[in-house]
Amino acid sequence: MENSGGFHYEGEKAWCAGCGDFGILAALEKALLKSGKRPDEVLVVSGIGQAAKMPHYIKTNGFNGLHGRALPPAFGAKAANHKLTVIVASGDGDMYGEGGNHFIHNIRRNIEITAIAHNNQIYGLTKGQASPTSERGMKTKLQPEGVILTPFNPIAVAIALDAPFVARSFSQEVELTAELILEAMSVPGFAFIDVLQPCVSFNKLNTYEWYQKRSYKLGPDHDPADKAKALEKAFEWGERIPLGVIYKNPRPGYVANTIGLDSEPLINKTTALEDVKRLTEKFY
Amino acid sequence: MTETVITLGGKAGQGLITVSDLLLRYLSRSGHFVFAAQDYMSRVRGGHNFMQIRIASDPVFAPLPTSHILVAFDQRTVDEHKDELIIPALVLHDIDDVKASGNATFIGIPIKMFAREAGHPVYGNSVALGAIAAVIGLRLDGLITLLTESFGKKGGDAAQKNVQAATRGYNYVRDAFPFIGVTLPRPGEKPKMLINGSQSIGLGLIAGGLQFISAYPMSPSTGVFNYVTSHAAELGILSEQAEDEIASVNIALGASAAGARAATSTSGGGLDLMAEGISLAGVAEIPIVIANIQRPGPATGLPTRTAQEDLDLALNIGHGEFPRFVFAPGTAEEAYYTAAHAMNLADKYQVPVFVLGDQLLVDSYVTLDKLNLGKVKYKNHLADANKVKTPYKRYQLTPSGVSPRLPYGVPDTRVMFDSHLHEEDGHITENIEICRKMVEKRFRKLAGMIKEPLGPTLYGDKKPQITLVCWGSTYGAAREAVDALNAAGIGAALAHFNRVSPFPAKEAATFLKGKKAVHVVEGNYQGQFARLLARETGFKTGEPILRYDGRPFTARYILDGLKRIYGNGKFRRVSL
Repeated sequence: MENSGGFHYEGEKAWCAGCGDFGILAALEKALLKSGKRPDEVLVVSGIGQAAKMPHYIKTNGFNGLHGRALPPAFGAKAANHKLTVIVASGDGDMYGEGGNHFIHNIRRNIEITAIAHNNQIYGLTKGQASPTSERGMKTKLQPEGVILTPFNPIAVAIALDAPFVARSFSQEVELTAELILEAMSVPGFAFIDVLQPCVSFNKLNTYEWYQKRSYKLGPDHDPADKAKALEKAFEWGERIPLGVIYKNPRPGYVANTIGLDSEPLINKTTALEDVKRLTEKFY
Repeated sequence: MTETVITLGGKAGQGLITVSDLLLRYLSRSGHFVFAAQDYMSRVRGGHNFMQIRIASDPVFAPLPTSHILVAFDQRTVDEHKDELIIPALVLHDIDDVKASGNATFIGIPIKMFAREAGHPVYGNSVALGAIAAVIGLRLDGLITLLTESFGKKGGDAAQKNVQAATRGYNYVRDAFPFIGVTLPRPGEKPKMLINGSQSIGLGLIAGGLQFISAYPMSPSTGVFNYVTSHAAELGILSEQAEDEIASVNIALGASAAGARAATSTSGGGLDLMAEGISLAGVAEIPIVIANIQRPGPATGLPTRTAQEDLDLALNIGHGEFPRFVFAPGTAEEAYYTAAHAMNLADKYQVPVFVLGDQLLVDSYVTLDKLNLGKVKYKNHLADANKVKTPYKRYQLTPSGVSPRLPYGVPDTRVMFDSHLHEEDGHITENIEICRKMVEKRFRKLAGMIKEPLGPTLYGDKKPQITLVCWGSTYGAAREAVDALNAAGIGAALAHFNRVSPFPAKEAATFLKGKKAVHVVEGNYQGQFARLLARETGFKTGEPILRYDGRPFTARYILDGLKRIYGNGKFRRVSL
């Protein structure tokens, strides 16, 4: 029925031609197909932004909420029904700016979801203002003299908070991105992937060429279990930008740590009238 | 009606709560009607806090500006409350800490000395409790049973020490003041329930099928969250302390979309932060219950005090237009039914449902014989996956405006919740026709919503000279004022509104028709309900009786309001 035809959505996509989002969408589809999950077992959650259109462009369950608020409902849905595979598609403005607080605290929760940040270092939907990851000196209509704020380093923050899986990819590297998403889906905790992505309309600095020239894939010599080394890689930016799994520290997540969520999903648990009656007796 | 009013006062951290809790438990178990209001400052230690306990022959739901017995844990309690005492009054106090003054009878008890004898200053609480028990004629054996039960859980010799301390206090008063004694109103035959509004709202949410609560602590709403959380593990409810209120509402919406019955609790400032999330619930049609416990604002305002300032906020919060329920129960008992009902209604109509409480409602203890658990039955309104049309459309246009709602995870089904204008299947669109149809669909729900129960409650004289109108916890004081007016031969009536949205305009208009001297009584400056009433019914009420100093209404405050409006004349005979 609806599951036939897999995850691919044929309809129009309101992204600019050449947008990095297409690559991330293709990678997500690939990873989902490879995972063997049925579309009805998967929930894609987003906030607002170009990246956040994702739930409309893939045939899974969807929740397209508010700007900056992709992670809270993703956590709520996963906690309510932990049988779901929950994937968050968010942008650098959505996840690091408006939703920065939720980024911090859902890593702390270590909720078992995959969070993908489409990081194009600029605001696309609102047409070209600085984002939390914009380079210093980048000029925009709202930063006419150039950005003076220090860029947010999502990889370093995630490692500092001990996220169990921290990775970086580049949207043109569809195979790598798909591999990372697939691995993230099997992580028993908060799995985070920052995907560098050109914005062909507004970011004239961080172009395909710019990323191609600098990015490289981490080899077997990098040990993601080494936190100090991982942090070192997190600060590697500029001339060389590492891609791949930067940090790994698997440990039990929120669902596993919450008493009562071990087997049956929360949505199947109901309070009987007898239980309410028992509670009223405590008031005598 | 006869009653004895006891006020206990002292610094935060002095053990006031321990003594009051035990006293209230004893009284409710003995079958007494009690009402106990807490007045506390926003601090953990020091300051001046007090609790007033009314022990009455009939149910009462509001504090009084007067008392018969003052239990003073410090001198400041005497200084602040001596003018409220009805002479002959008694003041119980530690013999060292308080100086006798005024016309009341001062009963000094060597509390600290007896506590030292028992082994620790903390036992002073039980000495005081014993002394109070002796003065109001409670039985020592009953008190010992209660103390043994309460402190037995702590293990060691805590129970025995507390019993020793209480017995010392009890016997000292009996021996040193043999002629002092107050007779309480005759209690009922059976033990009564003792419950506060936080507990009753929390219990109501649970009875209404709550599966998930996410909230951020904020006075005076934290009690609701605490109560639910204290039973969460045993009931399989998930309770999550969110990083902020924006998160708490959005987390609850995600859980609700997944099929869990979800709620959040907060107070005004937290509700402000939830505004966009509530708007999301409106357009994405996600069920959620929001228990908003009011305190005075704006901004931080008076964190631990009471107000009814968030009516306009609850009615309007969230940009754009969408239907909602707003309830404002009058008593802790009503709050239980309202909260349970709210959970069902959110699920039935897929709209945000507000339960407005306030500090007075949630922090005050009342007694009742029992809750009628059969009155509001849990009902699941999720659609049957085998009966929905395929392909499934989350926002299917229907005559009632309510679309069949499925949770995520139904085989061969795609469920899409969206914050944009959307097609019937949840896909983003900017189509003019769909836009109009979706707005109309959402508002078609109102036709069903307006027929739901919890409309206005009418009380008092059928052909009144004076009519009071109120909402929320002002019910208790207003009802008492109406009783006093009727007793003095001045026909008075009361209309109390629980459901304020959708507004029961027809019932309101019928009740108000032909009535003169109609006064809205509410805890805000602008007369928010009076304006709502005028807007919805065209009925212009008389001068409202308002309170906006963070303190709860009393019947006397309302009477004073009437005197200000009409002059003292005919109110002279009203005894309050």
